[in-house]
Amino acid sequence: MAGVIRCGCMSITQSVVKAEDLDLSFAKTLEQLGIERVLTCMQCGTCTASCPSGRYAAYRTRLVLRKVLLGLREEILSDPDLWLCTTCYNCQERCPRRIDVVDLIIVLRNMAFATGHARERHVQISRFFVETGHLVPINEENMKKRRELGLSEKPPTTHSFPKALEEVKALASYFGFDKIVLGER
Amino acid sequence: MVYWLSPSFSSKGVYELAKKTALFICRCGTNIASVVDIEELVDRFSKREDLVVVEDLHLCGDEGLRKIEEVLRNQEVDRVVVAGCTDRLHGELFKSVVERAGLNPGFLKIANIREQCSWVHWMDSERATEKAASLIEMALEAVEHSSETRKAKVPVVRRVLVIGGGVAGITAATNLADAGFEVYLVEKSGFIGGHMAKWDKLFPTFDCSMCILGPLMSELAHKPNVKILALSEVVEVWGSPGNYFARIRVKPRYVDEEKCDGCDRCLDVCPVEVPDEYNYGIGFRKAIVKPFPEAIPIAPYIDMENCIGCQSCVGICEPQAISFEQREMEIVERFGAIIVATGYKPFDPTPLAEYGYGRYANVITAPELERLIHPGGPTEGVLARPSDGRVPKSVCFIQCVGSRSDRPVSRPYCSRVCCTYAMKEAMQIKMSWPDTQVYIIYIDLRAFGKGHEELYRKAAEAGIVFIRGGVEVQEIPESKNLLLRVEDTLSGRVLEIEAELVVLSVGIDHNPDNEQLASVLRIPLDENGFFSEAHPKLRPSDTVRKGIFVAGTCQGPKDINDTVAHAGLAALRCAAFLSEPEVEVELLSPTYDPSQCHKCLLCVRSCDFQAISYQEGKIAVDDLACAGCGACVSVCPTGALELPYINDAEVFAALEAALKNRNERPLVVGFLCNWCGYAAADNAGVKRIPYPTNIRIIKVPCTARINPLFILKAFSLGADGVAVIGCYENDCHYRGGFRKAKSMVNSVKKLLEAIGLDERRLLIESVSASEGEKFAKLISDFIAQLAELGPLGSELGGGGDERSV
Repeated sequence: MAGVIRCGCMSITQSVVKAEDLDLSFAKTLEQLGIERVLTCMQCGTCTASCPSGRYAAYRTRLVLRKVLLGLREEILSDPDLWLCTTCYNCQERCPRRIDVVDLIIVLRNMAFATGHARERHVQISRFFVETGHLVPINEENMKKRRELGLSEKPPTTHSFPKALEEVKALASYFGFDKIVLGER
Repeated sequence: MVYWLSPSFSSKGVYELAKKTALFICRCGTNIASVVDIEELVDRFSKREDLVVVEDLHLCGDEGLRKIEEVLRNQEVDRVVVAGCTDRLHGELFKSVVERAGLNPGFLKIANIREQCSWVHWMDSERATEKAASLIEMALEAVEHSSETRKAKVPVVRRVLVIGGGVAGITAATNLADAGFEVYLVEKSGFIGGHMAKWDKLFPTFDCSMCILGPLMSELAHKPNVKILALSEVVEVWGSPGNYFARIRVKPRYVDEEKCDGCDRCLDVCPVEVPDEYNYGIGFRKAIVKPFPEAIPIAPYIDMENCIGCQSCVGICEPQAISFEQREMEIVERFGAIIVATGYKPFDPTPLAEYGYGRYANVITAPELERLIHPGGPTEGVLARPSDGRVPKSVCFIQCVGSRSDRPVSRPYCSRVCCTYAMKEAMQIKMSWPDTQVYIIYIDLRAFGKGHEELYRKAAEAGIVFIRGGVEVQEIPESKNLLLRVEDTLSGRVLEIEAELVVLSVGIDHNPDNEQLASVLRIPLDENGFFSEAHPKLRPSDTVRKGIFVAGTCQGPKDINDTVAHAGLAALRCAAFLSEPEVEVELLSPTYDPSQCHKCLLCVRSCDFQAISYQEGKIAVDDLACAGCGACVSVCPTGALELPYINDAEVFAALEAALKNRNERPLVVGFLCNWCGYAAADNAGVKRIPYPTNIRIIKVPCTARINPLFILKAFSLGADGVAVIGCYENDCHYRGGFRKAKSMVNSVKKLLEAIGLDERRLLIESVSASEGEKFAKLISDFIAQLAELGPLGSELGGGGDERSV
């Protein structure tokens, strides 16, 4: 892959894509990762039609599949639209080729994360998770509200049990999540 | 007024005029009724006491037909007019009902108010209704003067002629032979097997083509009631259904088929090598030819154009089968029926510049690829690309080459096989050379047959890259690779692919020989040069001529499965037709009245079918040899000959009716031949191409049927123009008919000039059955021209509505 194809740029749609820049084994790679039948996608668009997100945003599930088949790997992974899927599983239910579309999107998101294409906010909350055991850690405002309601200042979570936080970190480390989130950034 | 041109001039003696005529008006659902005011027509004609008027939603339906029969039986009706669709569609059906009701079918006339009225004049309901009324009046007048037609029972010859030795012809011949009929299989090339014998493997099952075709061919060759004539062509056909005669030209093989044992050693010793056309010019063949070992007949043939006469083959041939003495010969044989199975030609992509076929070495067609991957082909199955013989690392298939395009060099239809054969060939490449990247560039994938979709899925799973979009090919001069620019329309990206080999998925083109054969057999071709079937759904193997059937791709693109099914149906229809000992044929021949004959013999000379002879001082008409063109009748100066199914009197009567009320000016009478002119007018209707209403059409079997007096009569009745529209000269269904009409028309033009009329008022033109657009334009232009010339007689300083010339 020569990094020729960049995301979101008008000029790329108009320029010519050279076949040698396509990763034609990309779909095969995904099949090896357990997403069966990706290659049989016939571009019918049932997925797009069924997508609640696509109703309001520019997200086109079919186009993700098309880019997978063409091997436009960098473009898919760097595309912010990849994160618009709400994982409702409508497309997966309805796909006439029985492709696990949502599972595919999750695999693609993992790949995006691993190759430095995660969105900044996602990295931020992931970092919170590794560092605090919470996607949204407690803050002053929340602690105040809890006091007013007569609750303990901190909830009975990692905030209250540092040992549990150690376990979360151990898990994150075990799966390499910490490296992905904290390492490269 | 030229009164001697009255109907009675040519109608000899007394015709018993009609007592009562039944007029059936068909609404054809809304096809007619939405444009033509049916109530108005019913109103108008109901006022006439000599008519029984009946209207119906669908006369051709069971209920409609029963209604017709009932009226005819109960109302003492002796003449019938049906106003509805073209008689080319349901004419036979209505004839049979009339006959069932006890009337002679000659007393039925059809007014074409659909194809030639409501479907072309939909923009003007009022004028369409007026025209429909006029067309009906013409039919009513004509039917009064119509005469009985005759039928004859003819013993059926239980022998069938199958033209074309591909899988369609082989299937039809096998089925008929199995049913006990004698079969002649005539093949133009040296061997039977057709295109199927060239394929390596077949979709969607990847079975070896020769493994299934070979045994079928060999089985056929061994049947005692089958005669295979290779290197042969049908050059002439005459006679009638159940009793056709065919003249077959057999070219010399120079190898005695009886003696040859098929050892093929002559092929080894022949020193001549010429490009092998069987393999589309890839590789070489000898001057003694046998393209594949399983070929039938087993004997090779000698290509005399390239033979150097060295006699090496003679020397090695143990059974002494080589025979340079053989000469071309002609066989004339009788056949009860004929099956046309002349197949197709792969589309030639040379004119499509964007693909570079013929300019770039490594752009080939799919049939060529098939020969390259065929173990028996010129490279023994190695996919060697033409420029350097290397196996390509990347192959691009391009779909719809020559198909689905309105460009004049392309064909408008889908060829039905290319999607699946490309996927099959792509898979074969993937299976033999897994490292080769294969692309299929398509517009729509039409994998609709049994097992085809499954093949598509397998091809996708095998990693073949499908790209939906159009493409342009350029050669990279140094590497001879091809640079393809493709728009992937599914992602909106333009891709550039460097391919080492490009394969064009060319479509199924009509066999260029069809034109000649259509004229020999007098059966029509469709707008794409394929043979027309009698009905696309219900009679797909029949033609408009009884006893002549079509099988396989000569009728339109088909895969092998459909070809075999179609050929099987043709064989069954043929067997059913020949199952009775006698067949009833409608006689189209003229009647002859010796008392009026002056023995001028113009009729004998005018007949292209040797159906009229002069023997021992007598004129004799051979009813079965006659094709019914009517040329003899129109040259007969005394009226001794008359054509019962379209006699002079009824034409004159129709003219009187057409020109009685000349509300529309200019008003044109059109004499249209059944096969091309009238068919083209129907075609304009089917395509809904409008033209002015100012024309009244009279159908004649052939333009040669047009008596010059018809034209003069039309002018004498005040027609502003007369259009004679027939076939192209070489396509004439009666050989020289249109030529005769042309010379007649030219004489009449001179006569018009002599009278002082503008000869441009008389038009003669050719169209083909599928040229509806041309027909509509012809009529529109003619009417515009006549409008400029002014009403008839303007050139004489008169004009207007006087009925005088």
